[in-house]
Amino acid sequence: MATKISIKELDSQFAKIRGLDLVIGKIVEAGEEWSEPVGPTPYPDITALRSWDQRLLARYPPFYSPLSDFCEFCTYGKCDLTAGKQGACGIDMATHQGKWSLLTCVMGAAAHATHAHHIVEYLIKKYGEDHPIDVGSEIGVEAPLIRLIAGIKPKKLGDLKEVLTYLDNQVTQLTSATATGQEQAPVDYESKALHAGMLDNLALEVADIAQISALGLPKGNSDTPLVEIGMGAIDKSKPVVLCIGHNVAPGSEVINYLEDKGVYGSVEVAGICCTAHDLTRYSKNAKIVGPISRQLMFVRSGIADILIIDQECVRADVVDEARSVGTRIIATSDQVCAGLPDLTEKTPDEIVKALLTDTPAVLVRNPVKVGEVAARAAIEAAPQRKSEKGLKDEQVLANTSRCSLCRECTENCPINLDIGYAVNAAKKSNLEPLQKIFLECIGCGRCDEACPQSIPVLSTINAAASAKIREEKFTIRVGRGPIRDTEIRNVGRPIVMGEIPGVIAFAGCSNYPGGNEDLAKMADEFAKRRYIIVASGCAASDLARYRDENGQTLYEKYPGDFDAGCIVNTGSCVSNAHPIGAVIKIASIFAKRNLRGNFEEISDYILNRIGAVAIVWGSQHQKAMAIATGANRLGIPVILGPQGVKHRRAYLGRSEDDEKWSVLNARDGKKVYGGPAPEHLLYVAETIEETMVMAARLVMRPNDTAKGRMIKLSNYINLHKQLYGTMPDDVQRFVRAETDIPITMKEDVIPVLEERGWKPIEIPDPTLLDRMVLRRE
Amino acid sequence: MSAKISSYETAEIRGPKLAFNLTPENCGRMLKRSKRLLVVVGGDALKMKIDDGVDVPEVAVRLARSLGGTIVASPGVFKAFQGVSAVKLINMGLEDAVNRLKDESWKGFDGMGGYDMAVFIGGLYYFQSMMLSTLKHFAPNQKTISLDRFYHPNATFSLENLTPDKWKAGLDAMLQLLEEKK
Ligand code: SF4
Ligand code: SF4
Repeated sequence: MATKISIKELDSQFAKIRGLDLVIGKIVEAGEEWSEPVGPTPYPDITALRSWDQRLLARYPPFYSPLSDFCEFCTYGKCDLTAGKQGACGIDMATHQGKWSLLTCVMGAAAHATHAHHIVEYLIKKYGEDHPIDVGSEIGVEAPLIRLIAGIKPKKLGDLKEVLTYLDNQVTQLTSATATGQEQAPVDYESKALHAGMLDNLALEVADIAQISALGLPKGNSDTPLVEIGMGAIDKSKPVVLCIGHNVAPGSEVINYLEDKGVYGSVEVAGICCTAHDLTRYSKNAKIVGPISRQLMFVRSGIADILIIDQECVRADVVDEARSVGTRIIATSDQVCAGLPDLTEKTPDEIVKALLTDTPAVLVRNPVKVGEVAARAAIEAAPQRKSEKGLKDEQVLANTSRCSLCRECTENCPINLDIGYAVNAAKKSNLEPLQKIFLECIGCGRCDEACPQSIPVLSTINAAASAKIREEKFTIRVGRGPIRDTEIRNVGRPIVMGEIPGVIAFAGCSNYPGGNEDLAKMADEFAKRRYIIVASGCAASDLARYRDENGQTLYEKYPGDFDAGCIVNTGSCVSNAHPIGAVIKIASIFAKRNLRGNFEEISDYILNRIGAVAIVWGSQHQKAMAIATGANRLGIPVILGPQGVKHRRAYLGRSEDDEKWSVLNARDGKKVYGGPAPEHLLYVAETIEETMVMAARLVMRPNDTAKGRMIKLSNYINLHKQLYGTMPDDVQRFVRAETDIPITMKEDVIPVLEERGWKPIEIPDPTLLDRMVLRRE
Repeated sequence: MSAKISSYETAEIRGPKLAFNLTPENCGRMLKRSKRLLVVVGGDALKMKIDDGVDVPEVAVRLARSLGGTIVASPGVFKAFQGVSAVKLINMGLEDAVNRLKDESWKGFDGMGGYDMAVFIGGLYYFQSMMLSTLKHFAPNQKTISLDRFYHPNATFSLENLTPDKWKAGLDAMLQLLEEKK
């Protein structure tokens, strides 16, 4: 554990010291410009926050759903761990699942930490170590996560290097704990998973504040431009450079090169997934094809002349798929070399020549070089591109004649779409079922692999929906990055008092059970109800891919402020740091709590007072689980959509366990009932109805004022009645005094309370930490 | 020749402990022995009426009534049970319900003790599969039976993969058998 020793004044026979703070491995000189005192856990090591984790896990124990009955991690195995059996090494299923939980989170954290490394190293090389960290003039707390976790206030790009070193060290230690013979209790695996989640969140912030500062991405302004998104938004008449992944460096260099040459207007630069977000943050002329669900579909269209792949969320078959339609490929990252020849040391002329002749897929690990090569090769290759590559729609659909309705495809579809029936309907010239499937399909291509008749099923879906694809054009507000301190000042009090019913963050991947519209409808409903809505990554893209009854996208309909009834797009995956950062900033700016190395106190504050919840409706990647778990450690509950069950772990409370819902009243140190608020830390919901009502329930906090609780309850009861047709079974657990009951609902609620033996309780000044008690009676 | 029983999802291949595959009639016989039955209705139940012609909420109600059981319905389908009487009905997500079921000390929704059989019907296949996995591993004494149209290897007992017609007819036959008891 990191320990701090403060020596105000020491005058001994050995030494005279004045004003020195010592922290393990690091000396922080007093008088440093940042006067905030250092809290107990700057740069926490892997057990420094274990007692906080144990508090959380006692209330929200891990709930495991094994995806496999075996452990296959060592050569003793396979070992059958079914129903209480132990493996040859002695491990049982709960511990094995704990290991999976840590592995998932540490994979996510490692991916984001590596990403942060890549972008910071690139920017330092280009702009120098002394380039200032500047994320906006109205943003004083520039790096809430770094301040909170690392305990430093980064002023220049070079300052981020020590945070990266810390990340490397911690990720290695956590990975080590997963090796056979190391950690052995689920609760400790989970504590380490929470640590991995926290590191992941930290890495997000490092990456995003670095790129905002150096690349001039938007600095928290609410009115960033609306740009185009959709497969139909790409102008096929121009040369097309498509960037897939999460690192903006190579794509931004393409734009730089094109701008230098004065030809940017005549080349289309577009992206899929998070690089796409960051490209539009870099230049409003860039376009977003869509989220990860559009990756295979769009690559197969052959519209891209050059495909740049960087890192994270790049499909493992994308190189082969792109090659098969004549698209040239440049891999750019140490993380995704894709088996390609490394031409990094060749000249741009040589690489362009290779790409256009005998080596159509190459690795070039220098973003500046990639910029030139991709732009030049796209311009040269575009005329060779046939107006439409591959087969015509009718030719693709003709394959359906071979369908025997065996439904192998259906049985392989991860979201159980009845694709077999739809293909068979197309065989009989009815394309409607395929068109409906297009709207729900996550574009994974598993059906292709399954078909014994070699029908290219995904291409068949696309062919049936080609008119829809051409029309697929929406608008998205460019990712704005951080939340401004001024906004936090405006909403801090109403959020903490509960008068703004909550902050709902949409995050995650496009791995939905039934299309992206469900996600957008949820956001629309909560925005109408005047929650603050924030979105990042593929979820932010998917919110755009929907029009309401008036034909408006959500970004056209709602302003982009961090305020009640608004929808903020913060940007790419790494911009998930900002909704989390905003919640931390409420504790710092509104409540004046110290952030510096003060993780436990701030998490306790958030858990008990800030009604924030995240909805990850389409979780697919390990990174999504890492982000969610990091939010959990900070006291922010997360709801996953049904596919998230395959992450194998939730953190569930039990509303009827009254003992577990006690909090300390900081005013007098007494233990009082705080209610199941929030009831869960990580919950997997099956349907949107369940998700919406759960979100309205999970934003309640013990600290809500009567007025705030009234507003939150009014939404909760109203949604419950609207979607389930009944009064909530647990309403009595959330009413502390009659003043909590929404005025218009009193007639309904009071009889229910009486029937359930409800008694009023005191509204505490809640904390889980002994040391936060101000005065004991 | 023996029939190959496989899970509905191709890759949902499990280990040595797989659900006993029962016909609907045998499910009925098995269920008749239950003293404390819980019927867990998943969030895909309403879709099954459209896709397969089986009114899952009605099946659940007939089943619970015939054996004096309790229904716990996933919130997404709870509305379909409005107006249903003479059966104890709980609105709760599957994960929340399974979190209680897996706790051996849990006293049930009525405080009278655990359930000797939990019937699962109407869940999203992959979601229900994982809930059954939780119970299989962490509540080995909790018997579960899947009455869905697809084989669920993680249950204790399961129907095999059936066509919609066979499923509908099988459930009818099973319910008749149970209702005869009265
Ligand atoms: S590509 Fe679409 S239809 Fe095919 S298996 Fe994946 S989700 Fe299902
Ligand atoms: S797997 Fe192929 S043949 Fe079988 S139903 Fe699907 S499309 Fe038809």
